[in-house]
Amino acid sequence: MNEARKKKKKKLDTSSTGVSNHRSISTLGALSVYLITGLFLAVGFWVARNKFSVDLVSDPSLTLFLLWSIEFPVVVIMYSFFRKAPEKCSCFRAYGRSILGLICGAFLNALGAISLGAPIGMQYLPKTVHWSFLMSVFTCVPATAVFGASWTDWHRVFASMKPSGNVEYMIFIPAYGTIIGGWFGAWPMPLDWERPWQEWPICVCYGAIGGYIVGQIVSLCAMFFFRKDKHLKVA
Amino acid sequence: METHPKRINKWIPLSFLLIHSVAILIFTRGFLLTRTELPFHSTCSDASLSPCLSPNPPIHHSNSNQNQPKCWTKPVVDRVVIIVLDALRIDFLAPSAFFPEAKPWMDKLTVLQNLAFGNESSAKIFKAFADPPTTSLQRLKGLTTGGLPTFVDVGNSFGAPAIVEDNFINQLVLNGKRLVMMGDDTWTQLFPNQFQKSYPFPSFNVKDLDTVDNGCIEHLFPTLYKDDWDVLIAHFLGVDHAGHIFGVDSMPMINKLEQYNTVLERVVDILESQAGPGGVHENTMLIVMGDHGQTLNGDHGGGTAEEVETTMFAMSTMKHTPSVPPEFDTSSCKQDPEGKQICISSIEQLDFAATLSALLGISFPFGSIGHVNPELYALGSSSLNLDNTKQPAVKEWLKSYVNVLCVNAWQVKRYIDVYSNSSVVGFSSDDMSRISNLYSAAEHHWSNSVKHILMYNDGNEDSTNTSALKAQIAAYLKFFSSVAELARSKWTEFNLSLMITGFGILVISLILQSLAIVHGDNKPYAVSSGLSTGAAFTLFIVLIRACSFLSNSYILEEGKVANFLLATTGLIKLRYSVMRKTMRKEAFVFLAMVSVLRVSIDIGLTKQAATSQFMSSSPTWMLGLAPDHPALTYAIEIAPILSVAALICVLYVAIARTHSEGIWKYVTVGSMLSYFLIALLWASESKIFGFDGLLQVIGGRNIIPQTVYVIGLVQLFLLASAHMFCSGKDKNWGSRTVALVSACSSPVILLSGKQGSMLALAYLLAGYCIMRLEGVERRTKSDGQNKFSKLDSVCVVQWSLLSVCMFFASGHWCAFDGLRYGAAFVGFDEFVLIRQAILLTIETFGFSIILSVFGLPLLIPSHGEKRHQLFQMYMLYGVISATTVTATILCVTIHRRHLMVWGLFAPKFVFDVVGLILTDVLICLASAFYL
Repeated sequence: MNEARKKKKKKLDTSSTGVSNHRSISTLGALSVYLITGLFLAVGFWVARNKFSVDLVSDPSLTLFLLWSIEFPVVVIMYSFFRKAPEKCSCFRAYGRSILGLICGAFLNALGAISLGAPIGMQYLPKTVHWSFLMSVFTCVPATAVFGASWTDWHRVFASMKPSGNVEYMIFIPAYGTIIGGWFGAWPMPLDWERPWQEWPICVCYGAIGGYIVGQIVSLCAMFFFRKDKHLKVA
Repeated sequence: METHPKRINKWIPLSFLLIHSVAILIFTRGFLLTRTELPFHSTCSDASLSPCLSPNPPIHHSNSNQNQPKCWTKPVVDRVVIIVLDALRIDFLAPSAFFPEAKPWMDKLTVLQNLAFGNESSAKIFKAFADPPTTSLQRLKGLTTGGLPTFVDVGNSFGAPAIVEDNFINQLVLNGKRLVMMGDDTWTQLFPNQFQKSYPFPSFNVKDLDTVDNGCIEHLFPTLYKDDWDVLIAHFLGVDHAGHIFGVDSMPMINKLEQYNTVLERVVDILESQAGPGGVHENTMLIVMGDHGQTLNGDHGGGTAEEVETTMFAMSTMKHTPSVPPEFDTSSCKQDPEGKQICISSIEQLDFAATLSALLGISFPFGSIGHVNPELYALGSSSLNLDNTKQPAVKEWLKSYVNVLCVNAWQVKRYIDVYSNSSVVGFSSDDMSRISNLYSAAEHHWSNSVKHILMYNDGNEDSTNTSALKAQIAAYLKFFSSVAELARSKWTEFNLSLMITGFGILVISLILQSLAIVHGDNKPYAVSSGLSTGAAFTLFIVLIRACSFLSNSYILEEGKVANFLLATTGLIKLRYSVMRKTMRKEAFVFLAMVSVLRVSIDIGLTKQAATSQFMSSSPTWMLGLAPDHPALTYAIEIAPILSVAALICVLYVAIARTHSEGIWKYVTVGSMLSYFLIALLWASESKIFGFDGLLQVIGGRNIIPQTVYVIGLVQLFLLASAHMFCSGKDKNWGSRTVALVSACSSPVILLSGKQGSMLALAYLLAGYCIMRLEGVERRTKSDGQNKFSKLDSVCVVQWSLLSVCMFFASGHWCAFDGLRYGAAFVGFDEFVLIRQAILLTIETFGFSIILSVFGLPLLIPSHGEKRHQLFQMYMLYGVISATTVTATILCVTIHRRHLMVWGLFAPKFVFDVVGLILTDVLICLASAFYL
């Protein structure tokens, strides 16, 4: 799944090198962004449980669909606020490219999952599709909203891991966390515990969401402790 | 400086081979210990030591064999006809009403069903439970000794040594019974001198469905009319072979079953026609039984329900069988389609020897731990009715049975005591005292009440007598079941100290091997910073894989685990290649190949799940295309041949590119010729190309495979001699490796069947990508070249994982039913042990070990000679293999009492150990060849 993010970078190659005059954010601001995204994730679960009376175990496809379709607008709106070169790029353009990023990211995530061994039968197709959309919302959408098609930024942040500024911490650490969490989440799948949540993609979802949250916490810590570095860089 | 390490290098792999062999040998002696076979034999006179009644009380006069000396029990049948139908599944014989769904192979042996469920029948169908390992030899041994043959005997299955333990056949001979045997020659190997007459037929040619059966039939009918035998054994093999070759759901299988139905009908007719008073079959018992079951694929050997559930049909030619009291009746009943109640009973194969001994009135085998089965004994006990008409049959039978059980219990107790005293590791004292308590309770009850009832039999009918007898029987049965349970749970005597010693030696060898790698790194130009990430990652992946063996679930899905890890390494490589902006195409192709392999692994898993009791089948890979869609069939026919053509092109390019000359070039051209022949063979086997006539023209389908083998041997010979005589002249690794790998690959592809060529192509592509991606994370952005000549451990791990994936992708799994026995007969029709074993080994480990070890030098980019690096790579490859084996060994040590130890862990252990030794041997050869 790591591959997914790399491929993301690849697909968009030509773009003007973004000028780093995007809005910055404080650690507290990042915390509030995280709280809002977390809140809407919880809202997604609440809607699934109370309005549709399904959960990940009983109907993974529908639940995943609810989760990503509720989370996606929130993430797009939040992160579009920090888009690069806001004077050149309108809000709606950021929304538009986020939708494109959602689809491409989902495709790459799905390919990565399949090469790692996700089931490929027809009955698993809807689950895989919705799962990869959710993964895309966590990994790809924030980056597309902020960077757009700027290949240099993608490469710098994701491949070289040289983020500058809190926003980039907010983008890449949770994204990595999601993928690593999903990777670990796949581990219990072959075990013979006969639990319903061992089915694809339920435990991978739990792992990814867990990894996303851990990534958020780690990025908060990073912002907090590396503040001086950041100031130096900014200065 | 170059000569000194060179000399050492050749000895190091050899020394590790020796260390590993010693460690594995020690561990195996601890883990796969056989039950200690005791040299003692039962004799008739032993019975006087028992507390039981002597078997010739004055109540019986009319038995026809009263002149014969009485032994432990009173004989109740005179002659026995045992017809063994190899691999007889329970659903071949039991009516389809007992199964959720009627299948085409059910209800074919109708003559036996009609006999068993007819009115006034003295016949019964039993569900018989075999103990694993369910291979014919072990089962015959278990059936005749009444014991539990252990797993290690599987290894003897191809050499069938004579049984030295006391057994039923031996007892028959000692008691003057005359034996006739026909069919499977395993019997004559097990009992070389015991049969008065024998008509053995070779059993190992799996493709031959009829020789054994026809030989059996030819001798069976004339023999049945004769009176010069007491026990007749006829062993039919057709069903087993039909299962191995065609599977259960196939026309040959159904034809075989129908043939058996006719044969059995005739047998029953003959028996019944001679069953009148004075006839040769006046008191004969017919037993039709399977030695083990088989899976739907026709495999057997393990402990799954399909394999252990076989069946037994027993019929006495005397009518009026006493009915068994409901307390001891094990039958389960169903309604047949006409609404009639039909019942089948159940029996343990463990009890066969004791029951037959009791029926024939001979002494029980010394090591038998089974008990006399009440229902089977009742079937033979019709003769008891003639003795005493005053008493109801049930009462009479109860008395006879309780006395038989008494001597039976005494014999089992004697064996357990002797065994516990004489064996190195006996039973624990807790278990022994539990068993002894049960026995003494039963015996106390016997001496106090039941013995008197039997001895002073004055014909007084009262219910207390009957209930006392029943209580006595129940007490004995409790004793027997706890003995059997104890034996089953404890009989594989693990010698923990040997196991730990072996494990310890392996761990030490791992440390030494790692030191050998690290030591090799002490070169002045080595830069340690670049290596550390890669080494840590390598260690991480290898450890994850090793730890995965601690759980049975991960062992079952080992292929998927390896694939998951391989894809993970591929993703990491992709990340680096994007970071360094180089080799991105290769990284993607590698991931694509991994995905191809994973589909192939999935297909293999569904095959495995069809036969495994531990897995549920989930056909996830089905894409909704009907399997017999014409386009699909066409693709399946044509794709392998196209792949072979692609391989030929690759070889051609390899020759052209590397400017190889002399012997290496000719060897590679020889491989191209082999590939062409393989393509020709496949084309002529399929209907599409219109080459059907070709096989007739060249004279049979064995010519081409044999030619390929000969070409391969000649190639290897040329390479070896070239290496010996012209060593040093040609330092070009590339051409040497290509020559060696291509020479090995043609037989492997041929044996792997049509998927082989496609897999070889995927393997080649993935290997090429690994080579291109080697050291990508250390490359500088500027020139895209790896500056350091240091060992890249990640690519060796990838290569190793890839070879594991290839093992599973080529449709293997670590179980004996995962072996493709058919491959042993590609190019040959008759069975020669060594030759067929070699072919089977090549087929099983061809991709995963042979090609993988020989192909390892291809991973080194061709610029410059890096002899030292190659040595390190081989050492690393050896360490990775040894680590997985060490983990497996640790796993079987921990799980040695696990439910699945014989079904899952032991086969995995055997496969891994064989693989490690083979890897070590090949590493020795390869380092002699390349270094």
